Amino acid sequence: MNPSMRHVGHPSIIVVAALYFAVVVAISVWATRRTKTASDFFVGGHGIGLVALTVASVSTSVSGFAFIGGPGLIYTIGLGAMYIVLPASVTNVMGAWVLAKRMRLLGEARQLMTVPDAIGARYRSPLAQGLSGVAILVGIVGYMATNALAMGVVIDAIFGVGMGWGIWIGMGVTLAYSVSGGILAGIYVDVFQGTLMAAASVLVFAAVLKVGGGLAGISAPIMAADPAFLGPWGKITPLAALSFFFVFGLGSLGQPQGVHKYYMLKDPLQLRWYPLLKTLGLILVLLLYFGVGVGVKSLVARGSLPPLSAPDAATPTFLLRFTPVLLAALVFSGVAAATMSAVNSFINIAAAVVTHDLPVALGRTPRNELKRGRISTAVLASAAALLAQTSGTMVAFLGIFGWGLFASTLVPALAIGLNWEGATREGAIASISTGLVVTLVAETMGYMKLYTLPAGVTVSGLSLVLSILVFFAVSWLTRARAAAQIDPDVRLVMSV
Amino acid sequence: MTKRIALAAMVLASLAIAAAYASAFLPGGAPGWAPWLMALGIPTALVAVMVLGAARDGRVGRLGLPFAFSFVVLAAGFCLAVALPEDAGAGAPLYLGLPLRAAIVIYGIGLFPIVVLPIAYALTFGEQTLNAADLERVRLAGEAWARETAAASRPRGESPAPPSADRVAAHPGARA
Repeated sequence: MNPSMRHVGHPSIIVVAALYFAVVVAISVWATRRTKTASDFFVGGHGIGLVALTVASVSTSVSGFAFIGGPGLIYTIGLGAMYIVLPASVTNVMGAWVLAKRMRLLGEARQLMTVPDAIGARYRSPLAQGLSGVAILVGIVGYMATNALAMGVVIDAIFGVGMGWGIWIGMGVTLAYSVSGGILAGIYVDVFQGTLMAAASVLVFAAVLKVGGGLAGISAPIMAADPAFLGPWGKITPLAALSFFFVFGLGSLGQPQGVHKYYMLKDPLQLRWYPLLKTLGLILVLLLYFGVGVGVKSLVARGSLPPLSAPDAATPTFLLRFTPVLLAALVFSGVAAATMSAVNSFINIAAAVVTHDLPVALGRTPRNELKRGRISTAVLASAAALLAQTSGTMVAFLGIFGWGLFASTLVPALAIGLNWEGATREGAIASISTGLVVTLVAETMGYMKLYTLPAGVTVSGLSLVLSILVFFAVSWLTRARAAAQIDPDVRLVMSV
Repeated sequence: MTKRIALAAMVLASLAIAAAYASAFLPGGAPGWAPWLMALGIPTALVAVMVLGAARDGRVGRLGLPFAFSFVVLAAGFCLAVALPEDAGAGAPLYLGLPLRAAIVIYGIGLFPIVVLPIAYALTFGEQTLNAADLERVRLAGEAWARETAAASRPRGESPAPPSADRVAAHPGARA
């Protein structure tokens, strides 16, 4: 068991967690009754309201990392870890300008439901659609296995059932609502969970300020003991910190779990308020990330807390020592629910790739997609749970490169390609291949210790910038074919 | 024209970022100019891609000012973080509870753009992003495409029929 999560099994926490799961089950039952078609299953029937979609999107964006891993990372490397979340000040509105309208309009014109669908439609290319589907599938396998492992850790910490059972209980609950209620269940579970997490985050941040004596009171002991912690780059190099900003900023345009949600909005004209609401929601949820990370460092610096045994202990330690048990219970349950929600979202996208995008790439017509989607969901979830349970450190490795893989394979072809008529099918295929190959080869070499990149250079940053340059270069070389590769309705979507 | 400038800026920004990464492979690690390339390349790339997405009929209209503001805030924030001297330990003055360079990063880069960009997006939405007339045109274009697709896949001599789910879905990027 993760040492940071060992002692959270207080009776109140168990009761709150059990109630939390009961609400999740109730939402699933309700959603199951409303899921009748493949469109309901994969994109909520294009009928989700603005507020629900915004809260769900915030919820999917942060996952459990924002509450456990993130504060631990700040505790370890200082403000350098903020460059992972600082791009949120621009990413939501950037996504709205670059992708939201065009994706939603493609959904309107052609009833599209998957991210590779949009790539296929943009370039009239089954190969580009299939390749992007493969990239998404590879990234999702790792993400799901990592989240399954995280579920096991949290559920074991709350209920004391052991890691193996924790994985299967968590995956079982997730599977139940993913198979039956599809993305509809996921969206409304996210709404419930996101609302509670935003409230909990604000309350925890207030508690941090109270315990620390305001932000100035928190900063002072750190400046005396470890001023580099509050330097603009924290304890990492400027290149590494800026690399975080690049990958988590521009790379946000390639995250299928976020981009996919644009299809779901009921009325495209409601997009007007989406970036503002989502950004405000994210800021609230991320208060805990910043507050606990810096607050615990300050408490350690002034001697109110012993140094942590593991960085991930920052949040559990602060909650159990300095907040009411009910608030701690909400956060712990929320972390479990956040990992489940992430798994639901990823399973749904992966199932769509298996049942729709890959058959289209192979020239087949997808049939019985609701039934096959449910079967794929069950198979993928079981595979992820097995992988999490059996492959040890390999899971952590798989989880590392998901974000970077999505970014390098989808940002050029999707985000730039939907806004530039000069982009070509060849450019898209070359950039997706570049992202896939560079990420997999470099991450594998790093994992096997065959080669280590210089300080400040990340595989995700390198592969993202390379795939963008390849996209531009190949599109320019094949520019004579660009105009003929766009259908009239897609051209209209790209021009409005 | 606006889109061309945005594309050129995107390419230049990507080259700058790639050069910064490449410089880290030099003996002795990344030189002092590498963070400057990133500090200017990242805001350029982000604002360029936003301009690319927002441009309509080759113009960004009233959004020019918010985009310029965002570029200045991000670039100035990063450049100040690179350029300013280190904060002086325990006695360093605090600004809204943080030492100067941290305050620039957290409040400047992390919060300033929020005040401007999403509000600019909402205020210009109808004229610059999407309105009911756009939506209707797209719906009609989608219907026309579906009719043409169905007609193209119908065997010669067969009577016209509405596009079936399977016929539409057989084309890349289409579903019924």
